[in-house]
Amino acid sequence: MHDNDLAIDIRGVTKKYEEHVAVRDLSLQVPRGAVYGLLGPNGAGKTTTIRMLLDIIAPDAGSIAIFGRPNHEAGLLNRVGYLPEERGLYRKMQVRRVLRFLAELKGLKAGDADKRIDEWLERFGLTTKERDWGNSKIDELSRGMQQKVQFIATLIHDPELVILDEPFSGLDPINAQALKDTVVDLKRRGKTVVFSTHVMENAERMCDAVCIIARGEKVLDGQVTDVRTSSGRRNVALALVGNTAARPSENGVGHVLGDPKLVRHFDDNNRYFEIELAPGADAQDLLHRLIEAGARIERFELILPSLHQIFIERVGASGVETGMSGHG
Amino acid sequence: MDKFWVVAKREYLERVRSRWFVVMTLFVPVFITAIFLIPAWVTARSAAGTASRNIVILDATGTGLGKRVADLLARDSSAARVRNAAPAAQPQVREVTPAALPAAEDSATREVMRPNGVVGYLVLDDSTLSTRRIRYAGRNASSIVDTDRLKASVRQAFTGYMLQREGVKPETIALISNLSLNMSQTRIDERGKGGSGQAAIFLGVGIGVLLLMSIIFHGQNVLRGVLEEKSTRVAEVVISSIKPEMLLAGKVAGAGAVGLTQQVLWIAISAYLMTNFAPLVLKSAGVPISGAGGSAIGASLGGLTVGLFVVIILYFLFGFIFYASLLAAAGSMVNTEQDAQQAAMPVMYLLIGSWLFVNSVIVNPTGTIARVLSWLPFSSPIIMPMRMGLSPVPWTSVAGSLAVCALGCVFAIWLAARIYRVGMLMYGKKPSLAEVARWVRYA
Repeated sequence: MHDNDLAIDIRGVTKKYEEHVAVRDLSLQVPRGAVYGLLGPNGAGKTTTIRMLLDIIAPDAGSIAIFGRPNHEAGLLNRVGYLPEERGLYRKMQVRRVLRFLAELKGLKAGDADKRIDEWLERFGLTTKERDWGNSKIDELSRGMQQKVQFIATLIHDPELVILDEPFSGLDPINAQALKDTVVDLKRRGKTVVFSTHVMENAERMCDAVCIIARGEKVLDGQVTDVRTSSGRRNVALALVGNTAARPSENGVGHVLGDPKLVRHFDDNNRYFEIELAPGADAQDLLHRLIEAGARIERFELILPSLHQIFIERVGASGVETGMSGHG
Repeated sequence: MDKFWVVAKREYLERVRSRWFVVMTLFVPVFITAIFLIPAWVTARSAAGTASRNIVILDATGTGLGKRVADLLARDSSAARVRNAAPAAQPQVREVTPAALPAAEDSATREVMRPNGVVGYLVLDDSTLSTRRIRYAGRNASSIVDTDRLKASVRQAFTGYMLQREGVKPETIALISNLSLNMSQTRIDERGKGGSGQAAIFLGVGIGVLLLMSIIFHGQNVLRGVLEEKSTRVAEVVISSIKPEMLLAGKVAGAGAVGLTQQVLWIAISAYLMTNFAPLVLKSAGVPISGAGGSAIGASLGGLTVGLFVVIILYFLFGFIFYASLLAAAGSMVNTEQDAQQAAMPVMYLLIGSWLFVNSVIVNPTGTIARVLSWLPFSSPIIMPMRMGLSPVPWTSVAGSLAVCALGCVFAIWLAARIYRVGMLMYGKKPSLAEVARWVRYA
């Protein structure tokens, strides 16, 4: 079999545990060179999907291919980099030795690994004139530095496919920015990046395509713009002059927004409202009624529904099941 | 297979670099040397003791028996005296009449009570002659060594006195009373004569202890290593790069290699200490090199043939693989050190349980218990090499037992890999036995 244009091809995959089904008949395709988001609430089956993808656990049914080859093929996973949700490294080991070990596990020769480790340590500011943290034990590093070492471990073997499970959780803003830059850089270099998150804003900003899963099943997937237009409607972003946005009921605006014939749902984002119109309602009517009610409008814009809105709409509060995060 | 070596290499290097490894590698040989040396040294010390000489002998027999005892005591202790010790007091003999004995005893008691005075007094009277009764009172009355020496001296003196009364020539008496025996024990097996009986026990037990300690120590290391990988969550990154079975095998191999390295160093350092250091210590304590521990050590090392050495190594490897795999599985099931010790219990019971039978194996190395235990894969790694040290075992039995042991290892690895595979990614509560059984079935 030859490598094909799909970085990942998951077909009809199911994984059952004793009490529940973690993933049910899931299919998704990730094209090469894409930044792909796996979205879902905690316990939706994201981590289970990722673990099956990496051949850490075996699916009960279905097939998984990476670059067109079955994912258990020898050596294939050397082309994949993985950052798990729960992160950690050997505490008592020196940074350089940990990285060399993990690089060798990905099939890198010790000599090559050492050269790349030095480059990465310098790039992430872990070797400076004052101190070479590469010779320190993991234990002696700050949390932020440990996170950097963990990124390096994920990318040291220059993988063609990078899988990041909840990469932004627990990151400080500086490391979050570094990670975002790294993802963009990977994309520019033609790599494929898949990451899971329950923070929709990250996905909306970074992903070319997404797949939303809940309760182990796919809710929808596709290009981010397609997903956002798929509902065939536009939402209204409304901002009022002054500090009135937070207290709409005081100036009569609340009556307008509370009218079920006009507004199906609105979401107070503090700086603006995201308003989903009722079926058959017209945005012009809404604008008219708002002005009538004496609203001083700063912004009135037709926008695509945000991923967040789509997510809430399609998955709903019931999609968020608690206490299942262990099987992610 | 490359990745197996990567894991084994990390396991080996990280452990050998640790401070614990260095400490244990040096401590154990010193400890073993001390175990051999201290009893010899203590014996030498007490032989050189002067307490049994610094006494008063109250002789109311009127036969000169007290004088004989005093001579014997003086000669006996000078023979074993430490070179540099100050010349000590000689026994004082006081010949008294039976009527004056109570008064003499009173004054002797007072002398003993004075600090830095005599240690005690010995009473010889009519009852000694008629019913062989002697009395001793003194500070060291509870010292077995001292009282034994006194009794022996009196017995010898009494024999001399009786022989003289029967008209035996004094030279003959001297010959008889100085008669000492020196028995050497030699073991015979189908290869002929070889080694001493005592040396075989040293060797057998030594091998058994060494194997037991190594398996426990390095097995626990594997368990702790697995637990660390799990609790630091590094396991998931590692398992995304290597099959769990291969990871398990690599870890066991690496830790086993550490064990082998340590044993070789233990043996080398112990041998060095025994040959270069022990004689100096024993000499300074006044013990002749050929005596006490020295000969037993020499002879037991002499019993260590190349064949036996190879068999010991093989049994260590098999025993280690068997136990370390199971302990790794135990480590993968749990999340905390406490739970790990509990999960390791059943495995440790197998190991310690085998050790409980060691005594019956020493007493009867060819008995049923010894035979059965040297065939079971969980006890044979300890019992069989020990049995071989104690008495000859047909090579067919050894080969058979090794084969059974190898099968046991295959089973242990298979079982451990299945538990490990699931366990490594299970966080949260400790699994029940039923759950673990399910992991094994479904993995």
